[in-house]
Amino acid sequence: MARDLAIDLGTANTLVYMKGRGIVLNEPSVIALNRQTGEVLATGREAWQMIGRTPGYIVAVRPLRGGAITDFEITERMIRLLLQRVGVSRFTRPKVVICVPSAITEVERRAVTDAARRAGAADAHLIEQPMAAAIGADLPIDEPVGNMVIDIGGGTSETAVISLGGVVALEAVRVGSFDIDAAIQAYVRREHGIGIGERTAEEVKMAIGSAAPTGEERVAQVQGRDMMTGLPKTVDLTSEEIRFAIEDVVGSIIASVTRCLAKAPPELAQDFLNRGMYLVGGGGLLRGLAQRIEAETRVPVKMSNMPLEAVVMGAGHCIEHYDALKSMFMGTRRP
Amino acid sequence: MTWVIVAAIVVIGSALVLRFRLRSRQESGITNFRRHIDALSPEARREVMKRVRPDDDQEGRGQ
Repeated sequence: MARDLAIDLGTANTLVYMKGRGIVLNEPSVIALNRQTGEVLATGREAWQMIGRTPGYIVAVRPLRGGAITDFEITERMIRLLLQRVGVSRFTRPKVVICVPSAITEVERRAVTDAARRAGAADAHLIEQPMAAAIGADLPIDEPVGNMVIDIGGGTSETAVISLGGVVALEAVRVGSFDIDAAIQAYVRREHGIGIGERTAEEVKMAIGSAAPTGEERVAQVQGRDMMTGLPKTVDLTSEEIRFAIEDVVGSIIASVTRCLAKAPPELAQDFLNRGMYLVGGGGLLRGLAQRIEAETRVPVKMSNMPLEAVVMGAGHCIEHYDALKSMFMGTRRP
Repeated sequence: MTWVIVAAIVVIGSALVLRFRLRSRQESGITNFRRHIDALSPEARREVMKRVRPDDDQEGRGQ
């Protein structure tokens, strides 16, 4: 008998929660393929290490961009391999709940459920990421109070106001931490004339990146390829430069938070002031981001205890209480 | 005369059945909503939280 699963199919990482067990898989959403034969060579962490370092016949790709499936066939293969790794076979077909961005289109929605069913799921349901995040962050969403959650993922940023088990206001933008990495890559190419890969850009962001001055200005040595000579070159980057480079991306995330606050009923506004907003998702770990959102919205911002796992924990809770919570799945009638 | 009585019985019977079904639907709405909210309570969520972070001794919600 298969154990039912909850999957956080993120642009950056895929997490799997197994009913009765907990989180059983946490790997980057990357797959490496042989370009000539189409064979899968690696998935997850192993494939992630190959990004930008492969010979011509291997391609390491992220099949999701901006929270959406960009390559249906590759996504299906990736999901099938992930499900196999957690014990799903042709004879054990579990029920699966998958977390997706709330702004997903009908076509994207069908693509995700079809990919899961073809990959071995008996039945696939979708749940909005901010709702799963709020459950996983342990917010009191069963009470008639305003709970605000900001989920900053690899490809999307979503802000939701939740009360009495339902979404009251929602705002989503297809901008996330990968856009921050891309902004760093573009800045280094433009200002220093060197090309760096997406993994290096991510490392720079984690080492010295910040959304607001934190009182600790850092410097990092970055190695890349000189765009003029083609030779390896090293440059020094400062925290201030990175703040300048990522300002547009950070600005659009904060603008979406502000729009969500403006959409919320006035009755709930005082709850935000008293209780604050909760930040989840890997993008929320950017230094100074919580302080910056707090400064611009004048609402306290708190970091969730397990920002990377909150979404899959919320979906896991839904799979544990499937019958009582199935009305929360996208496309089903609310109670 | 018999037809009138039969028609009246049918109408009254239908009305009673309809009323009963509406009431039970209302009650099931309340029951479903209660079940939904109860499943989101901190007590219901404790099991998942403990499974993922067993060392945490529930300091407070959302913290």
